[in-house]
Order: sequence, then structure tokens, then C-alpha cells
Amino acid sequence: MSAHARSLTRLLLPVALLALTQVLLQPAAAEDLSAIDWVTNHDDPPIGDPVAKKGGTFYTSMTSYPLTLRVVGPNSNDAFAGWKRAYTMSFSLVMRHPTTDNYIPMMATHWLVQSDGRTIYYKLDPDARWSDGQPLTAADYVHTWHMLQSENIVDPSFNQYARDYYEEVVEVEPYVLKVVGKVESWRPLDMFDIWATPKHAVTLEEGFPERYNSAVLPVQGPYVLTEQVVGQYVVFSRLEDWWGRDKHYMQGMYNVDQIHIRVIDDNDRAFDFFKKGELSYYTVNTAKKWAEEMDFDAIRKGWAHRKRLFVDYPQGVYGFAMNLEKPIFQNKDFRKAVQHLFNFDEINTKLMSSAYYQQVSAFTGTEYENRDLVPYGFDPRKARAHLQAAGYKKRGDDGILVNAEGQRASFTLSYGSKGLERHMTVVKQTFQRFGVEMDLRLLEPGTAFRNGLEREYEMTIMSRTSGLYPSPYQYFATELKQTKNNNNVWAYGTAHTDSLIDVYRFDTDKQHRVAAMYELDAIIQDEAFYVPFWQAPFMRFLYVDSLVFPASFFPKRTQGMTDWQVFWIDADRDTRLQEAMAAERSLGEDTVVDVDPYLVKDRIEAALRAAAAR
Amino acid sequence: MMRWRLNPITRKRLQRFRRIRRGFYSFAVLLTLTVVSLFSNFLANRRAIVVSYEGTLYFPTFQYHDMATFAQQDEYGFDDVEADYLSLQVRFAADESNNWVLMPPVPFDPYEPDFDYAEPPPNAPDSRHWFGTDSQGRDVLARLLYGFRISILFAVTLVFVGQVSGTAIGSLQGFIGGRFDIYSQRFIEVWSTLPFLYVVILLATFFKPGFLLLLAIMALFEWIRMTYYMRTEMYREKTKEYCLAARSFGASRGRLIFRHLLPNCLTPLVTITPFAVVGAISALTALDYLGYGLPAPTPSWGEMIDQALASQNRDKLWLSIAPFSAISITLLLVTLIGESIREAFDPKQYAQYR
Repeated sequence: MSAHARSLTRLLLPVALLALTQVLLQPAAAEDLSAIDWVTNHDDPPIGDPVAKKGGTFYTSMTSYPLTLRVVGPNSNDAFAGWKRAYTMSFSLVMRHPTTDNYIPMMATHWLVQSDGRTIYYKLDPDARWSDGQPLTAADYVHTWHMLQSENIVDPSFNQYARDYYEEVVEVEPYVLKVVGKVESWRPLDMFDIWATPKHAVTLEEGFPERYNSAVLPVQGPYVLTEQVVGQYVVFSRLEDWWGRDKHYMQGMYNVDQIHIRVIDDNDRAFDFFKKGELSYYTVNTAKKWAEEMDFDAIRKGWAHRKRLFVDYPQGVYGFAMNLEKPIFQNKDFRKAVQHLFNFDEINTKLMSSAYYQQVSAFTGTEYENRDLVPYGFDPRKARAHLQAAGYKKRGDDGILVNAEGQRASFTLSYGSKGLERHMTVVKQTFQRFGVEMDLRLLEPGTAFRNGLEREYEMTIMSRTSGLYPSPYQYFATELKQTKNNNNVWAYGTAHTDSLIDVYRFDTDKQHRVAAMYELDAIIQDEAFYVPFWQAPFMRFLYVDSLVFPASFFPKRTQGMTDWQVFWIDADRDTRLQEAMAAERSLGEDTVVDVDPYLVKDRIEAALRAAAAR
Repeated sequence: MMRWRLNPITRKRLQRFRRIRRGFYSFAVLLTLTVVSLFSNFLANRRAIVVSYEGTLYFPTFQYHDMATFAQQDEYGFDDVEADYLSLQVRFAADESNNWVLMPPVPFDPYEPDFDYAEPPPNAPDSRHWFGTDSQGRDVLARLLYGFRISILFAVTLVFVGQVSGTAIGSLQGFIGGRFDIYSQRFIEVWSTLPFLYVVILLATFFKPGFLLLLAIMALFEWIRMTYYMRTEMYREKTKEYCLAARSFGASRGRLIFRHLLPNCLTPLVTITPFAVVGAISALTALDYLGYGLPAPTPSWGEMIDQALASQNRDKLWLSIAPFSAISITLLLVTLIGESIREAFDPKQYAQYR
């Protein structure tokens, strides 16, 4: 730097500082909004089908009566929370279109992400109203932020969330909101989304959990809780004059007049209720039931339909995790031997009615999934070669392999899911046949989960859901290897994988990110500390004939029935159904079971075929 | 050393027990079953009992022999995996050699899945699996048999430990009395309110669960019941004239307890023990059913019931008939024994007017 330039700096510095002070001292409301080049999107198709009709009652069930109507605080994360969030309380400012993945307006009509990747301005929809008629403004969002920070909500995980995610949430103008995230992100609209809480109805003083435990608060969504009989059922009713009813993306959504949710503690009993026609919809959650119990009267007579809808949703991490801190798994050959001894096909055909697909990638179902990976596959010969390379060359007296130091090829699998015990005993027998001993240890689910985070295990079953975008940092960062209580349960990480993760996290060029993640995915597979289990990229459900769905049923990114209410009840079909049921008359069986509008099944089966061919 | 000579009353009680036929026969049947079950490894096992091969006798029941031993190979060309005795039997029968294999009556162990059926498990009973297979393809009869052995051994050991320590502690409480009795009784009250199931779950997170650990945990709670009875018995007996007489003759404490008091306090011990066995079997079954008992894949009745009650198995009757009848029969036998003992020891029997 030349002397001239330096003196200029000296001159300008106080001026710059002064300007900065002025900016900082300016009241928030005085921010210059005219310069903001707002972004919006009206070009995507509506989520639902615009021909949907309003009306009717939708009958469904839940396994236990909700302990609270709050969405934060103790007990607020039960199954009922799904209903509350989806239909009454937690609407996004900007959301992703569940089929196109583009951002679309919801509570905010426009938005703008600043170049820092963490400051977002939202222009709120001036039409938005609380169900009690009060306007919904930026102050309600700031209120949520304050609520999440408050100790009085007695919800440490939300407190933590508020600390980790939000730098500040500011009311710039009554209808302009500014959210500043904690860290830079290339998808700040997903990361720093926040919902509104009615400021005029919710105070944050001490006693929050008790005060709002069963309070029916004003809602922003299309449904309001109108009836609750403790222990038996709750009813949501549709607001006829809901402010969002005619918005472009809401066309054809939220159609039924009432949602009647009955408490049926046992899933099989709920199935019986469905067979009798007392529920409108039923989710089939086991392969066995799907394979063996779907041939009942209502299906044969066409009063009910069964569908297996293939959806495209990230599958998360699901499989055996080996702890690299334990000596036995520090040997890569031993890890690879375990991979080759895991007989997915046998488990799938013999125990799961061939219903599932093997996972290969650590990022299955996301656009960062490396589809070129070939599964290890069950191969005792390769397994034996690896075992020998690992030093396990001869069998001990009990038939378990031992190495030169006399150590047995034996480890303990700790797991928290009793439902998987069936599969694990079969895996154990296969391992044993080839000289590897796997002891089974069932733990209370909470303990198993915590032991995983604390790396207090040799092998465990790892099960985590994933968002639309994988988060490799939390699973594979070297930084997390040094500490405990995180999702890097395997204690893996190298300087090279860290650099790949950094590319994914910070590089704004998508091609670079994809390339880095493909490489990371391949490295994870080669390191062999994660034995992926299976994936179920579909929803299996039954519904009564009076219920009508759009042509592609649910949007592409659907995980559960509560996600998107796009179905409706057709009054004429309902009459026809009632008559047919009364007269024991058949409507003709619906024989189309598999629906694959997003070509997910095609893709997965093609990939498996290609891998098998290699 | 103490020597208990059976006093005439006790002898009379035993005779009476022998005369109550349902009790006596139940006892005989249960004893036989128990003894037989000790030899489960020779009754249900995929390892042969004896193999005669090339002039050498092999006894593989407790010994691992690989395929190479009998010139076998599996489908991957491996010969170091465990020998397959069933196919060995078929081979020897076909090749007309002097080699032979003696298989157990049930040639399956309770662990190995049998996936040789076209249909996925559970498979209905047939000539291969007399009681069918469970949802992992394992032989139900083998699991039932091994499950019985585990249940009965567990229950008898647990009850033995519990009754002996309970009797000792309860007797001391009653005999010493005073402050010792008050404090120990308060301790027992506190101890007995500990939620047993939670303690089991908690300890299972720290220690690797197994037969002995589970036994130890349950024994921590098993002794309590017996103390109540023995304490009151002691309190009552020690004030009786025969005890005072012995004391006035200068009998030592040990003699007093073992020679005079204990034999007269034994009625509750004897009558409660069979019902304690029932309780212990039920408790183990319940724990296994919940998944906090013996670790998988230990054959256990509780786990079998769990499978039988699973929704997808509701129409697989053989899965429920086997464990339910086994449990009912066992508990019935034990209860009949207990009932007969109680009757034999009933003081009303000795009333003059009978």
C-alpha cells in the first residue's frame, strides 16, 4: 500500500466509523426498504388440485390423547403435534413447494436474502389474520423468538434451538420482518424459518406450561380445535372465512369441514375400525400386514382402496454404526468383512415380505446421493478374505475366529428397538456361521440413543431422519470426533473429508457441492463403518371410497398423511358408498395398488439393477 | 453341626402329602420334566449326539466340529464352518459306509433359523418341525424345551436364595427383636417400595444382562416376603413354654434357634415356597415379554408369548398354543404341589374331632 493511500485511510477511517455508528444507532424501523428488490414466486402449480370440493368429515385416529395443546414446552412433541403444526399453528414464512422444491410464499408474500447468507427480509401477507380477527404482524414473529428463548416455556431443546439458529428477529415495520441467522448458510430460508405466535393472547410470564396446557389459542391456519373429549377424541373444524383460502398455492388444500381424531391406543384396533368403515384413512406400517392382511371385505367390494405411493423423501441414516474408538473396529478389513456378512436379501425376503430396498448411500434420497455406489452385498468369500487380512485366521473351540493374540472376533450390538430384535437374531446367526460373534444387548430406547451419542458402544443401530439436505458436518466432522454427545457416533473424520464437508457447506456452486458429496459418500462406503439397512420410499395407506385424491395422490416430498391435506370428500361418492355398504353391494375392487407418479420406484430399481450388473 | 431329626408331626405331614395324590403326582411329573430338561442338549439340537466316522466316535453336543472333520463343504466351498449333521446323516445313509450319525429326536437348536421353506416364517407345524417355526424360522419345540429348562432353573435357584435369606433375616428380626427389629423392618419397608422393573432396566444399562445378573437383581427383592412370615413366627414361638423351658435348662442361642424354634416355624416356608416358584416363573416370563429379561436370542417363554401376541401373528395359532399351554401346565403342576403341601400342613387336620 502506498504512503498516499495510507494517509487517505487515516483520513477516511473516522468518517467511516461515524457512518457506522449512525447506522447502528438508527432505529430499526427506519431501515431503508425502498432499496430491497423483493423476491416472490407465483409460477409453480398449486399444491392441491383446484377442482377439490369443500365439505365432509374426515375420520382418523391417534394412539394417545394429547397431553397438551401447546406447541412448545413439556409434552408438546407427541404425535398430535403433527396435526397442530400442520393445521393450526406453525405455518412457514416461505416454504418449499413439495413437488417442485422451489420457494413459494406462505405467510410472507415476498422475501429477500442478503448476500451474507443469513439476513432475510420478509414482507408479510397483509391479509393474514388470527382466527379471532386480529391482524397477524411482524410483532407476532418477534414474540415467537422471545418465547423460544424464554426459560418459562420449560423447553430446553427449543431454548437451544433459539440460541443455535437465530441471531435476531426484528420487526422492521408492522408487515416487514427481518430474521438474522446465527451462521451463514446457502439455504437460509430453510434454516431460519420461524412461525408466528399470537402476541395478544400469549404471555411469557412464569407458569407458561400450565397456563397454556389446554388453552385453545387463536390460530393462523385453516382449522381450529372445536371439540375435545378427554381420552376419547378431538375435532378440528375448518374456518369458512380463512384468510388464506384463495391464495394461489392453497387452492385445493384443506378441504374437509371437520377432522375427527379418535383415540385408538392400538394400531391393530384402528385397523379393525377402518375395516368397519369408521375411519376414513389408515396407514399400514408393517410389511407383513401389507403383504398378508389386505384382502378383506371392504377392499374386495371396492368400498376401500389400498395404495402404495412412492414418494421422494430423504431416508436419513439407518443402519449399523461401528464405533471406531473400539479396537475391534479400528481394523478396516474387519469392518469390510462385517459389511459382506450382512445378508440384506435374506432378511428382506424371509422377514419383511420383500417389501424394502437396500440403502447404499449415506445420503439416500437427496440430490447428493452418489448413485454410482455398489452395495457391498452378502459375500462370505470376500468376507473371509477380509477376516484373514484382519488377522482372524483360525476358529477357536467354540467356532468363533481368533487372531494370533488369541482375541476373539466378537463384539456387542446395543440397540433400543425391540422391533428389530427379530432381524438382529437372524443377522447374529449368519455372522456366527462365518465365525464372527455378535452379542445382542437390548437397551431402553433413551439409553440406547444416549449411549450412541456418548460412543458408549461397540456397534449400535443408528436411526436418524434427514431433511431435504443432508448435514454431513454433524455426522462426519473431525471437530466432533474430539468431543462426545454428538451425531458423529462412529468417531470418524479426516482432514480430507472435512475439506469436502466444507465445500458442501460453504461453496455456492452446486456442481462443486455435488462433486464433493459424491466423493464423501464413496469414502464413507469405503471406510465401511456404516452398514446401511433398508429404505421404504413409499407410503402405504388405505382410504374409503368417498375420499378423493389428486391424480398423483400426495406431493412428491410427503412423509406422513398430515403433511399436505390435498384430499377431499365427494358427497356423491359418499352417498353411493353408504348405499352400497347398506346393501352389501360391491363397487368393484380397485386393483391398482402401486402408484409411482414421481418415478421413484423406477429409479431405485434401475439403480439396483445397474449395481447388480457391475 | 445341626441335625434335624424329623419329628413325628413332620413325618405325618409328609405321609399326608404323599397320600394327596394330585399333589404327589404333580411333584413326580414336574421333577421328571425338570430332570429331562437338563438333558435338552441331547433332545433338541442341530448337533448330533454321536457321529461314527471312519472308525472314530465324535460327541459333538458340546464341541464345535467343522465341516472339514467329516469331509463336508458348504455352498461357498468353505470347510471351516460348523458341520451340518443332518445332511451328514443323509450322506452316510446313501453311501452305505459304516459311518453313522445319531441325531437328537428334534434335530434343531433353538437359535438357528430354518429358511428352507418357500413361505416366509413362521411356518405351520409339519413333520420337520413338530410345533412349527417362529417368526425367525426357529423351531418352536426346541425353544419351548430350552425355555422350560431356563425358567425352572431360574425359578428354583431364585426361590432357594430368596427363601433362605428371607428366613434367616426374618428369624433374626423376630428372635433379636427390639431396635434391630424396628430398624431392619423400616429398611425392608423402604426397600420393598423400590420399583422393581425400573431397577432391572437401570441395571441392564450398566451391566451386560445375563442369567446370573438377572438372578441377582431379582434376588434383591425376592427375600422380602419371607421375612414377614418368619418374623411373626419367631415372635410367637419364642414366648411359648417349650422355648422358655429349653432356655431355663440353659440351652445356647444356637441350640434354641436351630433345635427348637426353626423346626416349629417352618410351616410358612414350606407352604409358600411352591407359590414363590410360580411367582418367579411368571416374573421371568413377564420380564422376557417386555424385553428386559434374558438377552436375545435366549429361548424364553416370555419372548415366545411376545411373538404369539404380535399383531401379524394373530392367526398363527401354533405360536401361542405352545408357550401358553406350557406355562399353564407348569404353573398348574406347581400350584397343585403347593396346594397339597398346604393341605398336608393344615393344623385343622390334627383336630380331635376329625
